[in-house]
Amino acid sequence: MAATEPKRVAYYKGCLAALSAKELDISTQALAPKLGLELDELESVTCCGAGDIHEAEPDYYLHLNARILAYAEQTGCDTLMTICNVCTLNLRQANWQLKNDDELRARVSANLETVGAPPYAGTVEVKHLLWLIAEGDGYEQLKTVAHKGLKGLKIAPFYGCQILRPSKVLGFEDPDKPWSLEAIIEACGGEPVDYPAKIKCCGFPIIQAREETALGELIQPIEQASEAGADAIVTPCPLCHLSLDAWQSKLKKSTGKDFAMPILHLSQLIGVAAGLEESELRFKRHVVSVEPVVEKLEA
Amino acid sequence: MDVALKIWRYNPQRGERELREYEVDAPEWACLLDVLDLIKDKHDGTLAYRKSCRMMICGSCGMRMDGRAILACKEPMKPIVEAGHVPTIAPMGNMPVLKDLVVDMAPFWNKIRAMKPWLDPGYDEVAEKERIVSQQQVNAIHKEALCIMCGCCVSECNSMESDPEFLGPAALAKGFRFVGDVRDQADIARLNDYNQEHGIWDCTRCYFCNERCPKGVDPRDAIAKLGAESIKQKVDHDMGAKHAKWFVKSAETTGWLRETELVPKTQGTVEAVKQIGFALKLAKHGKVPSPFPPHVAKDVDEARALHDLVRMQGREGAAGIVQGERGLAMIEHVLEADPESGGKSGGD
Repeated sequence: MAATEPKRVAYYKGCLAALSAKELDISTQALAPKLGLELDELESVTCCGAGDIHEAEPDYYLHLNARILAYAEQTGCDTLMTICNVCTLNLRQANWQLKNDDELRARVSANLETVGAPPYAGTVEVKHLLWLIAEGDGYEQLKTVAHKGLKGLKIAPFYGCQILRPSKVLGFEDPDKPWSLEAIIEACGGEPVDYPAKIKCCGFPIIQAREETALGELIQPIEQASEAGADAIVTPCPLCHLSLDAWQSKLKKSTGKDFAMPILHLSQLIGVAAGLEESELRFKRHVVSVEPVVEKLEA
Repeated sequence: MDVALKIWRYNPQRGERELREYEVDAPEWACLLDVLDLIKDKHDGTLAYRKSCRMMICGSCGMRMDGRAILACKEPMKPIVEAGHVPTIAPMGNMPVLKDLVVDMAPFWNKIRAMKPWLDPGYDEVAEKERIVSQQQVNAIHKEALCIMCGCCVSECNSMESDPEFLGPAALAKGFRFVGDVRDQADIARLNDYNQEHGIWDCTRCYFCNERCPKGVDPRDAIAKLGAESIKQKVDHDMGAKHAKWFVKSAETTGWLRETELVPKTQGTVEAVKQIGFALKLAKHGKVPSPFPPHVAKDVDEARALHDLVRMQGREGAAGIVQGERGLAMIEHVLEADPESGGKSGGD
């Protein structure tokens, strides 16, 4: 249990955690109180645009994200917590643009008010769950919470792109030598596995329009983690998760290799170490079976 | 100061690759390029690398230090020496190695050429009156015009690793330098070219290019500007453009992404039908959420009204992308130093 007063944060779960990656939302909600986080879930919010609206209609992208930031500000919290790399980049990029340009913020705020949404004063910080756990109090609490441990499981951290780069917008850690996932794996009693592709792309943004190119990217982390002897890969992004988990079967078709590499959301990895129940972890929603990991833990 | 380096050497005659360590005495102000010069002058004249201006203008000395593509003339060695670190120097990625740190940039230049990097003003004879270009119109392509074609962005491009034919960040940024140029009249033809296979929509948004660019070009942002211009000009036949447009449609109808419809909307019904086997496998694990009833965001009317309002304000296409700070800071710096020279011509 949290030793200190819980930190109340505005919570934006994004599209995937509400739909195909529900297990991410469920495990995050179950884990948060144990880590001293009180989630104030935003309701009147939309998709962040996932980089696609930024590319299709950039001014609309900016307004949609400003609206999410404005509703987060309205909760009185100073932090908007995300659980997806893509949401993190889109919201932080918009926030950075709005905070650094008073004229822009005034125009966007006026538009928000015209449609009945609150204006945005620029007081919110967007932080991914990973960062909230890896820094300061979060990390101290994690060590107490992860009492069940991971029994020396070898875990390959997969950061993905949009929690590291561009670092001028994200900036939590060195994008070439990140440490946060490794620190969390160790605090949970696991053994982090190192491999070069942990900071590279999973291919998800182009997996529907350019599947072959995307699969050429996807195979790298899975193959390297597998060769390094990892029992599972953990990722802070539901899009990376979907790519690594669901599209893994397509690698079998194109390369003949069946990696059978279980992929865990960050909240699930910590959740296992913190003793969450299957009803809170929802491993059955994964395409690649997580059973070998569970069995190794129970052995 | 004593500087230690490890350098990946490659001998094309023998086809051998070897990591060799060097130690040299260098002045405290030395950058990596100075150290390479000292090695070549005093220790090993056979070391091959490219250089010319030594001041971050020519773009010749691109290479990798500890896996990062950098300009050798931009990396001060003192902090590395003080940290007791021995960096590993290697040639850039995504280009064939010719010798030691020299890569074959022919594929790079071919892609730049494919962008038709010259102005097409749309007339044969010079007009009588001078065409004035405003500062604001120059600002629209300022960042892309900063490119020195060093190849650092291409070195780590994740899409190009998977698809060597991908035009890549440097060429596409060059493309926007012309699409965004108010004097150029070939926008539609250019956008059609850049929208082909291996073009704009092959970018996987890994953002390595923005991270590596030593000049603040932010090539990924340039690619987004090309995407936005394509959609504005209705050059939107590519699956990538359709994918992007479906996110807009989702946001302005239900607010949240209409995830299950994304595949047929991107790939078309015929291609989507071929994916049914795969979709059924995913559906068993709840990965294909039912589109009925639709997942509608609370107060979605606001998001719908915002779409109409924003459209009316006419910042479609690249004009809607807020420029990053690095390129613009340079403009501001010029304006501050000499207010007379800059903003005079004003907006359009």
